[in-house]
Amino acid sequence: MRKRDLSQFFKDKRVILLIILILASVISISTIGIQEGLDLKGGSLLQLQLEKPVDQDTMNVVTTVLDKRLNIYGVKDVKVRASGDQIVIVEMAGVTPEEIERLIGSPGKFEARIGNESAEPALTGSDITNVDMYEITGTSWTVPFKVSPSGAQHFAEAAEGKGGEKVYMYLDGKLIDENPPTLSPELANGKGATELTVTGGANTVEEAEAQAMAVYTVLKTGTLPVKLTVIGSNTISAELGEQFLNGAIIAGLLAILVISLIIFIRYRRPILVIPIIITSVSEVLIVMGIASIIHWNIDLSAIAGLIAAVGTGVDDQIIITDEVLGKNTDNTKRRKTRTRMSVKNALFIIFASAGTLIAAMLPLAYVGFARGSSGIGTISGFAFTTIIGVLVGIFITRPAFAKFLEIFIK
Amino acid sequence: MLEKFMESYKLLIIIPMIVVILSVGLIAFNGLNEGIELKGGSIATIKLNEPIPSPVLENQLKTALNVDEVDILNNNGNDVTLEIGTEVNPASFASALSGKGQVISYNSIGPVLSDEALGQVYWAMLFAFIFMSITVFIIFREIVPSIAIILAAASDIIIAIGGMSLFNIPLSIASVGAILMLIGYSVDTDILLTTRVLRRREGKVVDRAKEAMKTGLTMSITAIASMVVLYAVTVIFIPQASTLSNIAAVLIFGLLADILTTWFMNLGMIRWYMEWRT
Repeated sequence: MRKRDLSQFFKDKRVILLIILILASVISISTIGIQEGLDLKGGSLLQLQLEKPVDQDTMNVVTTVLDKRLNIYGVKDVKVRASGDQIVIVEMAGVTPEEIERLIGSPGKFEARIGNESAEPALTGSDITNVDMYEITGTSWTVPFKVSPSGAQHFAEAAEGKGGEKVYMYLDGKLIDENPPTLSPELANGKGATELTVTGGANTVEEAEAQAMAVYTVLKTGTLPVKLTVIGSNTISAELGEQFLNGAIIAGLLAILVISLIIFIRYRRPILVIPIIITSVSEVLIVMGIASIIHWNIDLSAIAGLIAAVGTGVDDQIIITDEVLGKNTDNTKRRKTRTRMSVKNALFIIFASAGTLIAAMLPLAYVGFARGSSGIGTISGFAFTTIIGVLVGIFITRPAFAKFLEIFIK
Repeated sequence: MLEKFMESYKLLIIIPMIVVILSVGLIAFNGLNEGIELKGGSIATIKLNEPIPSPVLENQLKTALNVDEVDILNNNGNDVTLEIGTEVNPASFASALSGKGQVISYNSIGPVLSDEALGQVYWAMLFAFIFMSITVFIIFREIVPSIAIILAAASDIIIAIGGMSLFNIPLSIASVGAILMLIGYSVDTDILLTTRVLRRREGKVVDRAKEAMKTGLTMSITAIASMVVLYAVTVIFIPQASTLSNIAAVLIFGLLADILTTWFMNLGMIRWYMEWRT
């Protein structure tokens, strides 16, 4: 390997582009980081179906209310997004779906009736202007809230002369407290009071805390315009996610080792093994760099796509190597011309098969993106990563590898 | 040796065809096990406090959840992966365990999602095949070689699905991805063969085919080896990551099938086409 060859190699624009992209990817990965998908970092995903298809504005209200509710409830790393006009995807870390199902499934329709359960509502959720933090005393809880002047007036009219009567408070048609509180006499004098409380009780302090938190959250975030049903859920513990990641890394390293061995046995030239491995690793790095920049989630499907793309990449490098080695002649001038022709022939095969693979993956990517992260949407990770991997291969890494062969394989 | 092998091109075409017919028969009689994303239901990985025999655990969960179908897919003492035939609420499942262990992962798919996914999977596969066929025709602009490539890819997929049926690998969203990935691997070797044999002029046809075969088999062996590694690592270290093991298994079947379809059927068809053309 002469100095002149090395300088010629590193001055080539394809090689320079490859080096720049590798450096950019390393910087991007180390600064921005890689967004891990659900199955690598652990967490939960809920698929919710709205009772009917809705327009964009209604969908925005739904996602905003859900996002607020989950954030107030203290759920970490919440991502709420629409998938089409009837499905909402909720991703979160550190909680199980059952903990928050009641929070999500509840439209949050609040009503208070005085005297008997069939009375006209004296107060509704739309009258509430502000909700203060709940308070817990033993196994009882209270959620203080403020109402609008018109709401206060309406409540005063309904409450007049009913001091001592029971106040039935409902959330989504369900009685909040099985033992409803009584109306205090000072609220039954016909004068509008803007500060009121919801009260309730439970068997244990923990239950009281959970009930108070749920009521507080739902009142604070307002009513959902449509009813939601959970149609799918997925939970993965953080430890399992870590196991998945470690397993994928082990598989990748072992695959590289096995491929190196096969290539060495086939060509008996160590000089060929190193560039093939470097090319494959740089392909992975660049794809990860792209994923990092565009905040693409790397999950098991994406890893599988990456492995598949690297697999076709190694195939392509074998094609280039065989084309070049098969056409070697002693005459240097003629050798260079023949090598260039060989590379050209190899690149035709490579571009043809890459085009076909991308064509086959496009419907899968489209369906995946159309569905969001629900159901078949998870496969968009596979399709997208494969497509990106193949494009990086044919336009960046393969030409650089071909240049290496042109210069160094004598 | 190879010349004799290539002369009997009718036999070359017949052998893979027989394997394809056997695969179709296998799929028809044995059926395909659909994964929960496509049929609906729940799948869970649990870590038991102490080992419980599979039949005992199955019965306990059937009773507690009031369901007919609970299948233990994997029971390694304390680590258990199981499938429930219907969609079960995660809370109900956690309480059905009644403190015997903890839920490591849980996936529940309702009928709404699964029906939709199933339809979309078939559409994706259909369009993938149509797009691939169009691309091949654009590249070669010759009917017979293009049909040979498309037939080889289709045969690979059929044989791979036959393998899935034989070894009870579920048709899931992951395995559909692998089936479509097969198109890439298959077309790689087919285009290599077609280009080397049809488009080149130097040397004899047999020599060109021999060189193509050398390259193609190296490609197939490296791909199969890396997939075997992926499968082994997944099964040994992370049995819960069925996404990866399913993809690897499907690709292994398909890549083995590709050796047959490319170097027997496709080579036979090209040989026949060249003879017919001259």
